[in-house]
Amino acid sequence: MEPTFLYSLILSATLFTIGIVGVMWKRNAISLFMNVELMLNAANLAFVAFSREFGLMQGGALVLFIMTVAAAEAGVGLAIFIAIYRSRRHIRADEIDLLRG
Amino acid sequence: MGADILVYAVLYAVTVGAALGVLLNKDTVKSAMCLVLVMIALAGHYLYLGQEFVFAIQIIVYAGAIMVLFLFAIMLLNMREREVTPWYLRNSRFVGGAFALAFFILLAVGINTFGTIGEGRSPAPAPSIPELATLLTTKYSLPFLLTSVLLLVAVIGAVVMGRRTDPETGEDYLADEGELLQESL
Repeated sequence: MEPTFLYSLILSATLFTIGIVGVMWKRNAISLFMNVELMLNAANLAFVAFSREFGLMQGGALVLFIMTVAAAEAGVGLAIFIAIYRSRRHIRADEIDLLRG
Repeated sequence: MGADILVYAVLYAVTVGAALGVLLNKDTVKSAMCLVLVMIALAGHYLYLGQEFVFAIQIIVYAGAIMVLFLFAIMLLNMREREVTPWYLRNSRFVGGAFALAFFILLAVGINTFGTIGEGRSPAPAPSIPELATLLTTKYSLPFLLTSVLLLVAVIGAVVMGRRTDPETGEDYLADEGELLQESL
């Protein structure tokens, strides 16, 4: 087992945890989104690390798919935020509670 | 091996430092710039792990396209207000932090278990870009095609969400520049 593999996994776990903390702490919807991107990046790093460790190409393919989904998510999500901002003048995630039960 | 550890330590410090910058900056623009730094550092990490293709798309798609999209959204929303945590959310920070810490411990235990499983194997050779291309066009050709459909749907969805409608007639209209300017002031 290569030490770089273990280091990559630790870095990935650290980034993912920072992303979780950000999602829990931030109120601004765009900040929330940026922290979700951080978590996606952490997952990508883990995929690449596993791919490297086992000599598989699947990790690279999965990273490509994750990036596509992330791009689609960012595009649609930011359009939604702009639409919400137009009617409410803010995008504070804890105050947008139209769908609460 | 010594140089490896040095490279890794620098990459780790830059990545985690910039990620903490994303977390702790009150200003959304600075936060976004820190996120760009995280992505570039991760791209360096991919290069170091021998994944040139992932390195290239990380820089082009993530650090380039997605972050520019974020900065454009911040610009359109004119979001220079700083984040203020109201009193009723103060306690939730501790709960959230504790939950994240617990999750990190869980991940660390998992990685530790995996570390003992993987012992004694020699490292595999780095996969090449032609191999990835073959994989994407043979075994994963259907998901690869579906990503194009996904992107098309996302583009249409973004246009539908982003267009303006007249509140009285319900018809689309294009706001003239004067109105947009007044709105941003």
